Amino acid sequence: MITSDFSNMGCSSCREHLSADLDGEADPAELPAARAHLAECSGCTRWFADAALVNRLIRTAPAEPAPGLTEAALAAALAELPRPQSPRRRIWHWTARAALAGVGAVQAVLGALALLLSGGGDPHMAMMGADMAHMSHESAAWNLALGVAFVAGALWTRHLAGTIPVLGSFVVVLALVSALDLVSGNVDPARVGSHGLIVVGLGLIVLIMTTRPTEFPRPSRVLPSQPALPATGDWTADLAVPLATAPTRPDPAARHRAA
Amino acid sequence: MMDDAALTELALRARAGDEWAATQFVRHTQQQVWRMLVALSDRGAAEDLAQETYARAFRSLPGFRAESSVRAWLLSIARRVAADHVRGIRTRPRIDPDVSPEDAPNAVAGGDHSEAVALHAVLDTLDPDRRLAFLLTQLLGLSYQEAAQVCDCPVGTIRSRVARARDDLIGHLADREHRDPRPNRDSG
Repeated sequence: MITSDFSNMGCSSCREHLSADLDGEADPAELPAARAHLAECSGCTRWFADAALVNRLIRTAPAEPAPGLTEAALAAALAELPRPQSPRRRIWHWTARAALAGVGAVQAVLGALALLLSGGGDPHMAMMGADMAHMSHESAAWNLALGVAFVAGALWTRHLAGTIPVLGSFVVVLALVSALDLVSGNVDPARVGSHGLIVVGLGLIVLIMTTRPTEFPRPSRVLPSQPALPATGDWTADLAVPLATAPTRPDPAARHRAA
Repeated sequence: MMDDAALTELALRARAGDEWAATQFVRHTQQQVWRMLVALSDRGAAEDLAQETYARAFRSLPGFRAESSVRAWLLSIARRVAADHVRGIRTRPRIDPDVSPEDAPNAVAGGDHSEAVALHAVLDTLDPDRRLAFLLTQLLGLSYQEAAQVCDCPVGTIRSRVARARDDLIGHLADREHRDPRPNRDSG
């Protein structure tokens, strides 16, 4: 049994560092202690020589050539590739965005006009705490806001997803009440027709969403292949980021797991 | 072996739907993927698992971040595919306790080549975790960091497993050469 009075490092720990050193992965802070141990310990000296021999032997055996994917297997795998965006899809996408901007502009102008020209109706006909003039202001403001939302959505499509629940429920409810109002003669068909713009806008939004190009995470930079680590010097400083998530020094738990 | 930057470039082009780049990516990585799958499952299943590995890799290309090592990314998918396969068929552990290093194909004594072949056979009998760590870092050329990414474990664990795999292999070497039965190990 070889024990080391001259070094705080035991054989097992020393060999782990020597092994890492063979791969250029040793912790430079621990290496001097491992080398000090090595200089005094014949068992570890032989182990180190054997480890180098194992390295050499294991690499001299020719690698068995892989059979490689068959044509059919390759084709099956290739079928899983992300679909490239077809030019036609791109044309649909941009046409729909332009159309949505147009619809939004018209909708906003109509809303603004309604806001300016409203004021009709019997000022004394009150409804839920507001007279008819205010009710029409409110509806005009809403229509104007929808127009703005359409134009903004055409410019910044990532906001569109959020508009779908609002527009969807609005269109459904409006369709129901418009149908009832038309039947009972409470509304002018032309007025109902003006809601068509909102339905068209909703359709365009769905079209834009479905033809949107797939967004990929953009690499901030492409790492070059693993740089060769210098034998000495504090190279760990350069690797601060990956090392933060993966400690260099083997913790006791890690050793247990390896056993 | 193609360098990592070129492989990453191929993966990025494949991500945009470039079939040629995807095919080249397969050609330049399938040797490693196959080797790993053979080590983790068995030779008979390796071909099917290789196809599944690439299918799964291509499906997950949209989530591929070029910041991380492309080979570690691919091999960690291969590892999961092999794990799913092994779980699926619920086989007994591949390491047959009755097989000992002595049963390894024993070529004519002497000569590095036969010794090397025998050592490779011994590798198959190691503890699976140690074998994988050794395979990744010694035979497939991954850094400890990349191997840790593939195995989903800390770098320290890889370091420890590689050292222990070496220890096992040295033990075999010592046995064959009728030296000391085992290298000395103290409690550390």
